[in-house]
Amino acid sequence: MDERETVLKIENVGKKYILRQKAPYPVGGTKSERLKYNLSLNKTVSEDFWALKGINLEVKKGERVGIVGRNGAGKSTLLKLISRITEPTEGRIEYEGTVAAMLEIGTGFNPELTGRENVYLNGAILGMSREEIDAKYDEIVDFSEIGRFIDTPVKKYSSGMMVRLAFAVASTLNPDILIIDEVLSVGDMRFRAKCLNRMSDIANDGKTILCVSHMMNVIRDLCDRAIVLEDGRIVHDGDVEEAIRLYNGKSEGFKAGHYEYSIKNRVKGYKCDRLVIKSLDIVGNTDSVYKWNEPISFKFNVDAFTDEENIGMRLRFLRDDGVPVATAFIEPFANFKSGSRGDVFVTVEKHNLAPGNYRCSITLVKGRPYDIYNNIDSINDAFFITVLNVGSDEGGVVSDNAGRLWADSWGRSRITDVRAELKQGD
Amino acid sequence: MAKTVIEANGKNLQYWRDIWRYRGLAAILARRDITVRYRQTFIGLGWSVISPIINMLLMSFVFGYVADLSTDGQAPYTVMVYAGLIPWTLFSRNLQIASASFLTSAGLMKKIYFPRIIVPLGTSLAIFIDTLISFGVLLIIMLISFFNMGFVPSPRMLLLPLFVIIPSLLGFSTGLFLSPYNIKFRDLNQAIPFLINIGQYVTPVAYSFAVACASVPERFRFIYSLNPAAGAINAFRWCIIPTNEFHMPSFISSLVFTAVFLPLGIRNFRKGERNFVDLV
Repeated sequence: MDERETVLKIENVGKKYILRQKAPYPVGGTKSERLKYNLSLNKTVSEDFWALKGINLEVKKGERVGIVGRNGAGKSTLLKLISRITEPTEGRIEYEGTVAAMLEIGTGFNPELTGRENVYLNGAILGMSREEIDAKYDEIVDFSEIGRFIDTPVKKYSSGMMVRLAFAVASTLNPDILIIDEVLSVGDMRFRAKCLNRMSDIANDGKTILCVSHMMNVIRDLCDRAIVLEDGRIVHDGDVEEAIRLYNGKSEGFKAGHYEYSIKNRVKGYKCDRLVIKSLDIVGNTDSVYKWNEPISFKFNVDAFTDEENIGMRLRFLRDDGVPVATAFIEPFANFKSGSRGDVFVTVEKHNLAPGNYRCSITLVKGRPYDIYNNIDSINDAFFITVLNVGSDEGGVVSDNAGRLWADSWGRSRITDVRAELKQGD
Repeated sequence: MAKTVIEANGKNLQYWRDIWRYRGLAAILARRDITVRYRQTFIGLGWSVISPIINMLLMSFVFGYVADLSTDGQAPYTVMVYAGLIPWTLFSRNLQIASASFLTSAGLMKKIYFPRIIVPLGTSLAIFIDTLISFGVLLIIMLISFFNMGFVPSPRMLLLPLFVIIPSLLGFSTGLFLSPYNIKFRDLNQAIPFLINIGQYVTPVAYSFAVACASVPERFRFIYSLNPAAGAINAFRWCIIPTNEFHMPSFISSLVFTAVFLPLGIRNFRKGERNFVDLV
């Protein structure tokens, strides 16, 4: 058993919200029902909604726990309960020491005040004493890279400057338990990397951390344990990779490996009156997790409403934060007859993607697949895959002792078929 | 290390400890209030001086000169009005800010934990600082009156700190009491400034308590004198103006109101604090 002391204990916690909605007009009702509706002052119906139910969690000192789950799963509610912004409906939460939350940093910034004044205001709001802020002031300004603008009212700052200053203040917090909620989706790439490094430093410092993020690489980098929330319940607690796999499978709420599309999955402007991609199934892989050298196969179902000839396609891979990584082009391969329906089978033999989570988009194109003006149908986030870290014995890259197989600095794609040749002189 | 326990409907004894821990925040919020208010103004803090003076001159003109009401003694009308405006401002502004505290700081409260009562406490502190400036103005007015008309203030002035606390606390408690209703029924947010405006004329702010009592019919006089704000204001004036009579029933009414509404207000505020995040 883990001998570290427990710093946070959540017992059987539930949070109930009461949803009030406008009652529907009794269309088919009797005259008296309609009259009653019209005369009633309170035209609402309430419904109980448990955002969290039966949550049990124990966190040891120095653990870095990631919390994942799709929108509405209860992640933020859980953090709100722990950071005492709202109270639980039932159950008990107990913790040792102080808790501070880096929730949507910049809260409490006042646009009229200068950077310097806001540092003190924000610090106080986050629970720091004046002396603590005094001691860390130079470090904060230095980290934020605000420089000589520190005495300018914050309303004159660019949004990037504002965020940098806010993060700088928040990251100097020194609580016993630190809560991080999606704060890293800010700033430019370089500053984001700097933030991530700072977070890793804090994490490696032995601090207890609770972290919510939709960016799986953040969870992977920062956390050594992860829980998955679904409909207000914990469905997984433990291994990080396993949690990410579960999250990927569930992120769209469909059964793993099967996706169905509606107008919502398309970018605005697609009329869905020519070729329509209806659904997609992953072939030969139950959890959408691949090794770097494993082929990816899937099939999708297309309804044709017009005659279409010479149809090619594009298959795009995006990082889970939306940055495009790679694209596969498939030259025209099919003709469709109006009124017909067909399955398209696609196999990517060698994807060369680095370990990580990917969102994949498919686009049907008339003619050559490079012509972005001839798209016929396009599905964003058509399916999700995870590419695994594997050791060299499984054909992956050489492992280092830290257990990290793929360094982030190596980018997102593994280039294969490279040759080096030495031509020695005399 | 301190242990914190969060329980459903817990009594939360840590609350009072937390208020002490976060006292620095109240001071910083007060400072922010004052700094922000006068940012980008030319005369800055001067506005804290100008606005009560204008108010005083206006009221003195309307009630003292046009309506020609008596000052009830030998104090200049301006001194009497100003000595009424200070406690009235303390009362009404405390009432207003305390009752609106959940609405004005919802953004902050939804993100970060701190004992919510810190917000009205901080604003109340800012109001108090404004009052100190008003006191400076009062001293100047009294000096002018002394040289012009030979007005000598009462030595009871030394009791003033106590009579600053009473109207503040009265407004603050009433405001706390109303604050949770303000979340659910925003009507209150519209109604309170309106009621304060009415109150300023119903309550002897711009005229003396004695004048008011004299013009109210005999049988309503007692009920009229139960106005707690009137009691607080009259007591304040009594400290400054030698001829101002102390009116016991109204003063007791202020004390009783404060004593009743302070615990009720805190209880109500705590109740609002518990669930307002889910309601706003």
